[in-house]
Amino acid sequence: MADKKNYGMVIDTRVCVACSACVYACKSENSVPEGYCRDWVVQETNGTFPKLSMENRSERCQHCAKAPCVIYCPTGASHYSEDGTVQINRYRCTGCKACLAACPYDARYVHPKGFADKCSLCKHRLDKGLETACASVCPTTSLNLVDFNDPEEKALKMMNGKEVYRQKKHAGTNPSLYWISARNKPGA
Amino acid sequence: MTQTTTEIISTKMNPNVIPHLHIWEWHIPLYLFLGGLAGGLLVITAVMIVIKRHFGIGPRDEGEGCPCLAVRVGSALAPILLGIGMLFLFLDLANKFYVWAFYTTIQPTSPMSAGSWILIAFFPMAILQAMLVNKQFLRNMNIGIVNKLIDWTENRLTLVALLNAHIGIGIGIYTGILLSFFYARPLWSSSILGMLFLISGISSAAALMLLFAPNHEKPIYSKIDANALWIEMVVVGLFILGGITGPANTSGAMMHLIAGDYQMAGMSYMLWFWGGFVALGLLIPMFLEFLEAVGVHIRFPLVAPVLVLMGGLLLRFLIVFAGQTYHTFM
Repeated sequence: MADKKNYGMVIDTRVCVACSACVYACKSENSVPEGYCRDWVVQETNGTFPKLSMENRSERCQHCAKAPCVIYCPTGASHYSEDGTVQINRYRCTGCKACLAACPYDARYVHPKGFADKCSLCKHRLDKGLETACASVCPTTSLNLVDFNDPEEKALKMMNGKEVYRQKKHAGTNPSLYWISARNKPGA
Repeated sequence: MTQTTTEIISTKMNPNVIPHLHIWEWHIPLYLFLGGLAGGLLVITAVMIVIKRHFGIGPRDEGEGCPCLAVRVGSALAPILLGIGMLFLFLDLANKFYVWAFYTTIQPTSPMSAGSWILIAFFPMAILQAMLVNKQFLRNMNIGIVNKLIDWTENRLTLVALLNAHIGIGIGIYTGILLSFFYARPLWSSSILGMLFLISGISSAAALMLLFAPNHEKPIYSKIDANALWIEMVVVGLFILGGITGPANTSGAMMHLIAGDYQMAGMSYMLWFWGGFVALGLLIPMFLEFLEAVGVHIRFPLVAPVLVLMGGLLLRFLIVFAGQTYHTFM
């Protein structure tokens, strides 16, 4: 199928300023309960003083192509969607919490109403042709929604020639989030 | 040489995920213990029935095909204990109204899905065995449908027991596999965990039967217990060795359990593991059972089985808790 989507994100950590706009956009868009978050901001500092380097990034569910949460879910509540994302059917979720234990990224939580919850990559917006809430408010265009089946290969153009990584790739989960490393910054 | 440092600041704040996973509390260890105990009871009683009926070995039976008292009580306890365990499992569910979802699908890659079906399969066969070994008692109660069921199946007790020995082993292993498939939690991600929980379930079940067996039946359960404890010691040793010789994730998680100062109920994992589980739950009862076997009768014969049962329960608590407090697969 030519027009089948395969959504993911390319996150350019070079321009992320850790402003948390993505976190609050998500909370408001998805009515995330107070005290919980579907995405969060990480600031990682590496090196030996005074030679330090810092990377800011906005993290969330990796929408793995081989997702441990889907593999372990006993009821099929966690499932792959046709657009390449991982979704939760809350009307089949028993709240057994196996998916929380299975996720190597600790991306999930138990919603106060009892079902497992996490980033849906704003599926309700994707279905309308919109981008995710987090990407739509990102003031530095660090967050980019991409379709890996896109013939214009926006994703490839962005990552071409740069140091790009995926988190815990060796876990074998085949995550759909790609990170342009802050080491690409001049002087890093 | 100056150390390269990494400092990570995160705004993630999800309760029971941060600072470490805290999704399963006392319900799950208790369920795993009761499940292992029920599986162990089914294995031991089924094997006792088979070797008595097929080879004529075992304690004097009660006549008319009714086995000895410990087997009769043990057979009845197996489904009861599993039922209580499943109640705890249910209480742990965060979305209890959707519990039916387990039974509208089979997810081949999910041990929990397989387990939820095995748990259901356990009951008819275990209850049938409990009825057949207690048939004299049940016939006196003279309930129509129960009488009919016993009439149909009483000549097949050996077959029922043979099947149950397998189901019991399946349940015992399943209680460990439930955790060991989570490779994101390095302590649980050990193939030997299924064997460890199975043999621990069998040793606990032998200890429980030793508690309620009449005096002339006690020696056989004492011997089963001593042998199960010995095998369990070997498996615990392999579990530890497999952990500390493994890659960074695995060895770190194992050290977190066996040498960790993380506190559980005011005492470090290390003390609980070596002092509580290995010394009090394995070595001392094994020594006491050994003394019993060579004819040195101790003053308090109940000490050993009670210690074994407490050790089995403690093992489940330690594994479930320490698996969660260690960081995820890196």
